[in-house]
Amino acid sequence: MNVHADPLVDDYLRRLDAAASALPAHRREELAAQIRDHLQEALRQAPAGDKAAVRTVLERLGTPEEIAAAAADPPPPGQPAAAFSQVNGLAIASLVLAVLWFAGIGAVLALVFGYRARSQIKNSAGTQTGSGLATAGIILGWIGITLPVVILWALPPGKL
Amino acid sequence: MLYMEPGQARNTVSQLRKGTLEYCVLALLRDGRRYAFELVRTLSEADGLVVSEGTIYPLLSRLRRDRLVSTSWQESEAGPPRRYYQLTDAGKRALADFSDEWTRFRDAVDALVAPQAETTQGEQGDERAR
Repeated sequence: MNVHADPLVDDYLRRLDAAASALPAHRREELAAQIRDHLQEALRQAPAGDKAAVRTVLERLGTPEEIAAAAADPPPPGQPAAAFSQVNGLAIASLVLAVLWFAGIGAVLALVFGYRARSQIKNSAGTQTGSGLATAGIILGWIGITLPVVILWALPPGKL
Repeated sequence: MLYMEPGQARNTVSQLRKGTLEYCVLALLRDGRRYAFELVRTLSEADGLVVSEGTIYPLLSRLRRDRLVSTSWQESEAGPPRRYYQLTDAGKRALADFSDEWTRFRDAVDALVAPQAETTQGEQGDERAR
């Protein structure tokens, strides 16, 4: 069959063109030509309008989005970790709780979360950041625990 | 906290697959040139190597841009001309380097991971030779 007239193939190639829009024009055209040739070759024996055969061949190809993603340039080596790095959530929670204090409970939780966040970040092999936040949470957490104790100690009894 | 997520093994294998696929393409060209559709179908028929045939085409383009393969057009008996791929000298070197490294790597991993390493290795060898 001639794939150029098939509506399923047309639709697929249109989706591929849209998905590959970020590629330079000559690479996008090359990819479209490769896929067109593939379809022509795969459906050579199929009778015209054989929808089941077209569907099977398109399924084996994968989605246009998948193919376009494979055609996109891979990130340079060493970069991917940084590209996907995110701030550790526990580190943020630690700092927020340390600041809010909550009658000392926030400070205790800030320490728990802060230390845990730092170990997670250390083990994340560069995929997580926020160790500064976690350290700030830990320092403020300790202050939030010791300062009230010192103040209570220093106050003369009876003033409470 | 969890350091190894449930999908990790599959993810690791998928990364390995991605990294080795281009050398599988080069290996298929070791004995001479092939046209794109033939390459793609051969690769997709090897169990567990390729999930979507379409993703091989960008790889073929990349190999050509990196000058590991070269292409030529040739008329086919039936239908439009076909684009054939063949190894360049750089491609042959890349394949030879990879083959050595891969054999060492595979043997080391098999020795540790697979309890019956000998039988599975034999089967894979046959598969590739065909």
